[in-house]
Amino acid sequence: MKIFNLPDLGEGLTDAEVVEWYVKPGDEVTIDTPLVSVETAKAVVDIPSPRSGQITRLFGEVGDIIETGKPLVEFEEEEPSDTGTVVGKVETSDEKLEEKAVVIDRKKSARVKATPAVRALARRLDVDLSIVSPSGRDGTVTVADVERVAKRLKDLGPPELLRSARRTMAVTMGRAQAEVAPATIMDDADIDHWPKDFDVTVRLARAMSVACKAEPSLNAWYDGHSMGRRVLEKIDIAIAVDTPDGLFVPVLRDVANRNDDDLRSGIDCLKIDVRARTIPPDEMRAYTITLSNYGTIAGRYAVPVVVPPTVAIVGAGRIENRVIPVDTEIEIHRILPLTLTFDHRAVTGGEAGRFLMTMISDLEGFER
Amino acid sequence: MKQSGHSEHAKQVAAFEITFSRYLDADGNVVNQPLPRWASDKSATLPIYRAMVLCRTFDRKALNLQRTGQLGTYGSPLGQEAIGASVVSVMREEDVLVPSYREFSAQLHRGVSMQELLLYWGGDERGSDFQGPREDFPICVPIATHVCHAAGIATAFKYRKQDRVAVCFIGDGATSKGDFYEALNVAGVWQLPLVVIVSNNQWAISVPRNKQSAAQTLAQKSIAAGVLCEQVDGNDAIAVRAASQNAIDRARSGGGPYLIEALTYRLGDHTTADDASRYRDTEEVEKQKQLDPIKRLRSYLSNAELWSEEDECALVQECEQKVEQAVKDYLNTPAQPAQAIFDYLYAELPASLQTQYDEVVSNNHG
Amino acid sequence: MAEITLVEAVNLALAREMENDPNVVVLGEDVGVDGGVFRATVGLLEKFGSERVLDTPLAETMIGGIAVGMAAQGLRPVAEIQFMGFIYPTIDHIVSHASRLRNRTRGRLSCPMVLRAPYGGGIGAPEHHSESTEALFAHIPGLRVVIPSSPARAYGLLLAAIRDPDPVIFLEPKRIYRLVKQEVEDNGETLPLDVCFVLRPGTDITIVTWGAMTHESLQAAEQLQEQGISAEVIDVATLKPLDMDTILDSVEKTGRCVIVHEAARSGGWGAEIAAQLAEHGLLNLLAPVQRVTGYDTVMPLFRLEDKYMPSTERIVNTAQSVMEFA
Repeated sequence: MKIFNLPDLGEGLTDAEVVEWYVKPGDEVTIDTPLVSVETAKAVVDIPSPRSGQITRLFGEVGDIIETGKPLVEFEEEEPSDTGTVVGKVETSDEKLEEKAVVIDRKKSARVKATPAVRALARRLDVDLSIVSPSGRDGTVTVADVERVAKRLKDLGPPELLRSARRTMAVTMGRAQAEVAPATIMDDADIDHWPKDFDVTVRLARAMSVACKAEPSLNAWYDGHSMGRRVLEKIDIAIAVDTPDGLFVPVLRDVANRNDDDLRSGIDCLKIDVRARTIPPDEMRAYTITLSNYGTIAGRYAVPVVVPPTVAIVGAGRIENRVIPVDTEIEIHRILPLTLTFDHRAVTGGEAGRFLMTMISDLEGFER
Repeated sequence: MKQSGHSEHAKQVAAFEITFSRYLDADGNVVNQPLPRWASDKSATLPIYRAMVLCRTFDRKALNLQRTGQLGTYGSPLGQEAIGASVVSVMREEDVLVPSYREFSAQLHRGVSMQELLLYWGGDERGSDFQGPREDFPICVPIATHVCHAAGIATAFKYRKQDRVAVCFIGDGATSKGDFYEALNVAGVWQLPLVVIVSNNQWAISVPRNKQSAAQTLAQKSIAAGVLCEQVDGNDAIAVRAASQNAIDRARSGGGPYLIEALTYRLGDHTTADDASRYRDTEEVEKQKQLDPIKRLRSYLSNAELWSEEDECALVQECEQKVEQAVKDYLNTPAQPAQAIFDYLYAELPASLQTQYDEVVSNNHG
Repeated sequence: MAEITLVEAVNLALAREMENDPNVVVLGEDVGVDGGVFRATVGLLEKFGSERVLDTPLAETMIGGIAVGMAAQGLRPVAEIQFMGFIYPTIDHIVSHASRLRNRTRGRLSCPMVLRAPYGGGIGAPEHHSESTEALFAHIPGLRVVIPSSPARAYGLLLAAIRDPDPVIFLEPKRIYRLVKQEVEDNGETLPLDVCFVLRPGTDITIVTWGAMTHESLQAAEQLQEQGISAEVIDVATLKPLDMDTILDSVEKTGRCVIVHEAARSGGWGAEIAAQLAEHGLLNLLAPVQRVTGYDTVMPLFRLEDKYMPSTERIVNTAQSVMEFA
């Protein structure tokens, strides 16, 4: 209520005299706060506030007589009285609801279709569901499918778990595949004028060193995550070495600043150490470009794998006699097939082409 | 009442009469003689008055507690106190009270504690685990459903040949409900020891009595079930007690069910969340205050020299102390642990619920 | 030992327990003089008198409510609702009071009442007499919902229901009231509440059902056997509280589950069982859980009722497709 009337103080009392006000206009009171002391014929009593609120007016001064039921005190505003319910409390807030319609994006799941029991069975039998051809309805893998594959695998025996070099290769090549954007240029170097029993590997390393100076982009490290490139001064060539234990890639350090004899003895030492398995891990790390002389085994051209963070790998194929035109004559020359695979994220086609041409010029232009 | 039947040849096969009684007027003066003999007996009258005053003192405090957030939604019986106290004063301990949700003078006079009532409205089931009247029914919220329960209780009494009575309190709104009619009907045909008290406080939330039913009195609804009834001034404790005594004794001795419509007025809002000024005239309420049952009985007792000023002061003080203590006890009762929601769901918790129980315990560990 | 029908078993149990316990009182419409419209209470009035067998006025709400009051006073009222179609007026008393009286008085008062009703379709009855809405009650905390599927189980479970200290809704599948006879010994022995009964062992697929549908489910199991499919048939019996352990153990073995109930599909009690299978038995499932149920339509009048109710054929077909899944 806004105006609080003098309540019936009982016993048929019709009025009361104001003895003392405990509040004044402007005061904030709560329920039961004593407002005023009044005297009736029988006693002096305090009258508590029936509600909370701010007092705006007192109807009477000390000594005044106020009749029962007549105004005593006025409050600032109506107590909000409509709770909008008859039990409990219905919360309100000023929150405005903003909603947008959502459409569920219906994508076809790439998940293998198999019931939980079939999945559990596959786990128990150690079968990779992705290799199981489903025969059930809607391409679902059935118990029979899992059991069939499990039997097949069992008949084949347990797989050999990759270790050391083979494991490293699997990891490295897998990562390379995921990260690198490879592109390849292939060409030939005419090395007919080379003496027989020539040290091909050293010559290749030398040619690569010259090409790196001409096109430093290919002697660099690239970090795909930060998209940052380090073009490197020192040229450390990793040489792919095939062994019964797998692929090893020892590093020939600082090729640009070593003479041929030094390079040769360096390569020999690396090979000995690799075969003896005494090569320290550090000697297989931190290389700047790779040479794969696969031609010593077989193959002309290849598309070898660029291993990050390097950005280039040179492949040298089998030297062979080929029929080539010289002016208008046909001649047979010894040809060295070359492949350059580069990471196109960090190296342009032009840089790669020029690198390869520089190599070829160096190889062809060599004179004892 | 209008004559029913379609022609003048139709002869009357049934008629009924509803009586209204009162002894005291609004000021407590005796207006109908003779008074019952016990009306001059302190031991018969003072307990009623004390119960009414205690109820009102409790009610005031309960409203304050609600407004200060220490009690949930609460429905005040302000203005209706005479009915419950008077009826209960003639019940025996072994009778059973089946209350509605607004009969605290009845429940308190039966021995339900104020702390129990506060616990109930404070949202705690322990408030219905009465330590006093162990067989009384708890507060009933679904309107009028408890009249059927009372009929069932009365059936058990009759079946066991016990001379106990089931006393059920309902409001005016409840008399519109099917449960009310169905229960009265079976009480009538089975002659159950059931007494139904209709506290007609003129309002069912916002629906006034004249919109609740076209029946001239609510009492006469029992006639349709073959059950006797009468109407009394519900604010006249003497009249209510007299009528109840008659009805309850009669039921107890195999005389069958009875219905008493006690006329009163709901001076407060329906509940603390309701604002009655939305739908009724405050002037009307002010007028009704003149018919206050406590004032009336006090006048009578005072005039009959059964009650003095000192008695009044002492009673007021006593009631306030009792209420304060009950409030303290209530406020000092911590809530039950979370897993109490599983206790008493069945006589024994089924195995199928153990997981849920454990989850609640572990979520609320501490 | 007599060979009796399901409804006779109900009668036998009532008589047995009224003999044992003077607190047991039977009430309902036409239960006394007429012996109940299905004769479930025949002979009780003569044997125990009109104070214990009460012909009530026509007022289902009152029947539900009066039973609450009687039970609170320590009697064991067994109230009959003539057909499940007329049970709805009692729902207020069952849900608002019976199910929560113990809880809301912290155990001071309790409600050991039984509300029994014939339920389900298939007897060519007029409309409203073929209801199967047991899920409404099974949803309510504090209640027990029990559905017998054989004379022996009717006898043993009804005894258990009457002796149980909490309210029980006892639904009797009227279509099989007299369809089979079984030897039932009137020994006053109860069968356990809150457990499933395995009616037929099997290894390939689990059929979970209750009420009259156990009949069709067992027939389906026979037919499946001829096709080399071994079906385990489980009678849930007590829908609430639900014995999921038995069902989970079975599905762990078979990996496949078909739930059969007459009630409408959505929100039927089969949905609860399927949800719990997904929660606790997922890794054992070789195929999705299937439900064979009444359709999500109003129970048709009797000319079409056998098109609505699950048939043996539907159960067999569903089981076969589950077997073919994986």
